[in-house]
Amino acid sequence: MNKKLKYGLWLVVILFIAYNSVYFKKLDSIKASDGDSFNSKAYAQKYLDTILPSIIGKAIPIDRLLADLQTSPQKTFDTYSNALDIGSIRFFWVKGRGKITDMDDTYIYLVTDSAHATIKIASEYIFGNAVRDASGLIHINDFASTTDLNNISAEVNKIIRRQILPPFKAKAKKGDEVGFSGAMELNSSHLNTDDAEITPVSLKLVP
Amino acid sequence: MLLLVALGCKNQTNSNQPKKIAIVVSTLNNPWFVFLAQTAAAKAKSLGYQTRIFDSQNNTALETDHFENAIASGYKAILFNPTDANGSVVNVNKAKAAGVPVFCMDREVNAANAATSQILSDSYSGSVDVGKYFVQTLHKKGKYVELLGLVSDNNTWNRSKGFHSVVDNYPDLKMLAQQSADFDQNKAMEVTESILQAYPDIDAVFCGNDAMALGAYQALVSAGKADKVKVFGFDGAADVVQSIKDGKITATGMQFPQVMAQTAAVYADEYFKGKRNFPKKIPVSVELVTAKNVHNYIAFGKKN
Repeated sequence: MNKKLKYGLWLVVILFIAYNSVYFKKLDSIKASDGDSFNSKAYAQKYLDTILPSIIGKAIPIDRLLADLQTSPQKTFDTYSNALDIGSIRFFWVKGRGKITDMDDTYIYLVTDSAHATIKIASEYIFGNAVRDASGLIHINDFASTTDLNNISAEVNKIIRRQILPPFKAKAKKGDEVGFSGAMELNSSHLNTDDAEITPVSLKLVP
Repeated sequence: MLLLVALGCKNQTNSNQPKKIAIVVSTLNNPWFVFLAQTAAAKAKSLGYQTRIFDSQNNTALETDHFENAIASGYKAILFNPTDANGSVVNVNKAKAAGVPVFCMDREVNAANAATSQILSDSYSGSVDVGKYFVQTLHKKGKYVELLGLVSDNNTWNRSKGFHSVVDNYPDLKMLAQQSADFDQNKAMEVTESILQAYPDIDAVFCGNDAMALGAYQALVSAGKADKVKVFGFDGAADVVQSIKDGKITATGMQFPQVMAQTAAVYADEYFKGKRNFPKKIPVSVELVTAKNVHNYIAFGKKN
């Protein structure tokens, strides 16, 4: 009996040690935990709440941007666009006013007040670097790692998806007048403004 | 000692010769890296330098031999595509200690101050774009598998993380399997065949590079599922650009090896001319290629 108890206790001890010696984790969750020291969430909130509103005067009116891209695209890209990457993808910090002509799961469609241009504001797929890069205020050498920069975009986009879009979508309807600011991505090598979309930073119904 | 004296004499006698730049690449068994290496060599030659391409064959030990050989042979700069983000650091540091600047192309090393500069595809952001298109194409629901590249390469994880930063927001998109196929076409075919036996009912495959996308597509053809399952890649290889035109592969992230290779060669030239304040990392944008815009692109770049 004593022997059985002894072996039983040993078995429990061995199983306990074995169970606590091996951990299974997904590879991507291990990698995802790298580089957590930078508080990207707090940075993103401050960027949207105080930094971007303070430079709203530097945003180019959307109607002027579309007109300038028609007449002198290269000069317009050189003057107004920003990007952290080298390449053809560039971002513009824009603002404007217009009337809602339609809304679906993906976009809010507007006709602008002054030039009557049709534009679309993204309302579902808010991802990428448009808002981070368009202002030209964030510089690559100011951050220790590219992970920090990627996390800024992810957090900025999350705030837009969770805090900016839902209250607006809940009350906006066709025919409403909207004032907006946001970021627009364009490819300087293959310019196509028809498919361009604005990632909103500010959306306000204008009485 | 005698060897050092001999090397010193040799360097003196060759002082009027053009400087030599070594191009060390992870593998020449993949057209993408061949293009990267040849473009870097061509640009360096056009700037007046002698060049030689070294193939590391995805082997860090061989890569170490190449670095030692290049340093001992009087190469004055190394344009480098690392084999392993961690394992290659020692080689870069060896070159740095010898006063030879290293400019990384496409793949990075995990050391902040080892390389003079690292010119890298923005794999994370490129995969965000692929992920966004993935969600749109699958209408936010379905079952999929992911093929990862080499687990020791940062690009593997940057692509995976960028993709998941979008796709994981949609709970009706279920990942059934995530396996490495080492960026290799044949391995991707085998892995996909095996996955299809366990999960015959999938809607999409996301692959960390185009070689794996082609391998996955081959497996789907063999299983008679090529028309049903959407395949997404990353790179912009010739076969995948054509496959997107043919409606076989859904999308890829186009990288620009020419931009990276030429920038690295220009940086080496500027270094020789005295410049020292290079950005530690320069991301190069990646562009989404789909059936809608594929006419704008060719292999590894865009049409002029």
